[in-house]
Amino acid sequence: MGELSKDTGAAGGGAVQWAAARWATATRADDGQTSVMNRSWHPLAMAKSSLTWRSALYLGVSLAWGLGWFVVLAVGLSLSVALLIIWVGLPLLALLMVAWRFGAVLERRFVLAAFGVRIPSPYRRMPEGRNPLSRLRGMAGDPATWKDLVYFAALLPITLGEFFVSAMVWAGTGTLLFLPVIVAVAGGAEVNFGVSYWAGNPVEALPVSLLGLACLVPAMYVTRAMAMGHAAFAALMLGPSPSQRENAALRERTEHLRASRARGVDAAEFERRRIERDLHDGAQQRLLAVAMDIGRARAKLDEDPEGARELIEQAHAGTREAISELRDLARGIYPAILTDRGLDPALSGLAGRAPVPVEVAVDLDERPPAAVESIAYFIVAESLANIAKYARATRASVRVAREDRWVVVEVIDNGVGGAVARPDGGLAGLADRAATIDGMLIVDSPPGGPTIIRADLPCTW
Amino acid sequence: MRVVIAEDSVLLREGLVRLLADAGIETVATVGDGPGLPGIVEEHAPDLAIVDVRMPPSFTDEGLRAALAVRERRPGTPILVLSQYVEERYATDLIGGGAEGVGYLLKERVSDVEEFIDAVRRIAAGGTVIDPEVIGQLLGRRRTGDPLEALTPREREVLGLMAQGRSNGAIAADLVVTEGAVEKHISNIFMKLGLQPAQGGHRRVMAVLAYLGLH
Repeated sequence: MGELSKDTGAAGGGAVQWAAARWATATRADDGQTSVMNRSWHPLAMAKSSLTWRSALYLGVSLAWGLGWFVVLAVGLSLSVALLIIWVGLPLLALLMVAWRFGAVLERRFVLAAFGVRIPSPYRRMPEGRNPLSRLRGMAGDPATWKDLVYFAALLPITLGEFFVSAMVWAGTGTLLFLPVIVAVAGGAEVNFGVSYWAGNPVEALPVSLLGLACLVPAMYVTRAMAMGHAAFAALMLGPSPSQRENAALRERTEHLRASRARGVDAAEFERRRIERDLHDGAQQRLLAVAMDIGRARAKLDEDPEGARELIEQAHAGTREAISELRDLARGIYPAILTDRGLDPALSGLAGRAPVPVEVAVDLDERPPAAVESIAYFIVAESLANIAKYARATRASVRVAREDRWVVVEVIDNGVGGAVARPDGGLAGLADRAATIDGMLIVDSPPGGPTIIRADLPCTW
Repeated sequence: MRVVIAEDSVLLREGLVRLLADAGIETVATVGDGPGLPGIVEEHAPDLAIVDVRMPPSFTDEGLRAALAVRERRPGTPILVLSQYVEERYATDLIGGGAEGVGYLLKERVSDVEEFIDAVRRIAAGGTVIDPEVIGQLLGRRRTGDPLEALTPREREVLGLMAQGRSNGAIAADLVVTEGAVEKHISNIFMKLGLQPAQGGHRRVMAVLAYLGLH
């Protein structure tokens, strides 16, 4: 049941990557992002990074945002609470809640844009259906909604402080830095830091510019520190709590396990149907033919001994074919030598039966669990069968080795490539089998070859 | 000739006894598991032990291990191992202690009664009989820098038949050539594989198998 198909068309060509999702890789997804939390503190690196300037911009203008929310919330909340008596307050409150939740979504975007800090959404899943009332109830029942409110309530004093510090630091630095320009426009300026300094022309202002350049470094540090503080506060109030994070991770894990269990059950079901079909179409039919031959021979025994002898010959040949068919079928279900001696002898047996020369290298200190051995064996068996059928290869190699906590199985041939893992195909079936133990199968087979089939199987199954 | 049989399937055991009896071979004892084999071999000192690979208690390679134990305790006891599956590793394990009087055949070969009885007689006489499937596997397996690659397809064929324990005459008949031609092929094979030409039937099988499986 090799399902590798040739792909000669230009459109569909290219390496096919079929990867069953693996938990370890899935959780690694949003690491490695640069934010104000992990950037280098080196002045040059800070000056070069756009994060510094994005933070400075945010800290400079966010006062308007904080003030806006303060006004909206102060007016809106007091108004709706006052109007609660005549029931108008309730829809107003709901509207306000939707507004601040929307604002919080926006604020997460701002924080990402300004500080590079990604805050995952902390909200619970909305109730199913389109009933707006139940959706509102869901929102009101979500603690994250109220944490959003606290965040916006605290935003004004925070942004106020940030604005003043930013204004002071950057106005001072900016003035010193651009003093030559100011002098050129205004005709002269006096700088006073304990000692007063009068710059009458732009050239005289140049040393002050240098001083401004030096001030740039502390200004960036101050900005950075405020950015980190703000981002941390935003992450605390707008992000999920540790237990929520844990829940989300568990949900994701459950989802993954559910999917891999489904694939495993399907793979087993598919296998069972295949065995039933093979038995029904193969050995059963052959044995039936044998029974018929013997029956006819018995009937002929007296009047036509020569004919009877021929039929018995035929029946004998038929039983031998049936036996050999059953033997192949049994070996296809599970090879006895795998249990007895492990992967190395089983794989060299496979290699010996393959029509092309196959080099086998198995490097395992100890035998992996039976499930892992069996999946590794069938991956090699299916790959070698495909190589024989489609790859037009002249040689192949099989490598099994332990890497870290994984048993890595690699089958490489020098054939024409273009192998595709089609749904319900042999390769997809192997990926399904690998997925049942949280393993991963990768097929890399560009047209023109070579084909590499690699499986990473966890050896602590 | 006196034979002991270790086989857990009653059907096959009784079948074997009858089949051997038809050919005038006496079965002196039978046993249904692996660990019992060395005991009955000690007791009866048979001319041949026929052993199934998969037997109680573990139903893995009990029979093979029992056979190896017999060979260790009574070296030279001819042993015929019957197996549902032939695996090169089992064959090389078995021959590891010497190929004289060793046979390894698929169970279904029993149905070719004459050939089977012939194999039994050859093993009991100290010959070597290895299933063609194992030979095929061994010949199919290639390692880097394998001198087997130097053989022509015809020589490979002759080597395979030699490894099965066939005589030059039988090989000649099989390939429809003269015996002289077969002898010439064989001397070429020995030359290419760097083996000393040896006299006698089973010696060259030993040499071939030792080369194929155990080096």
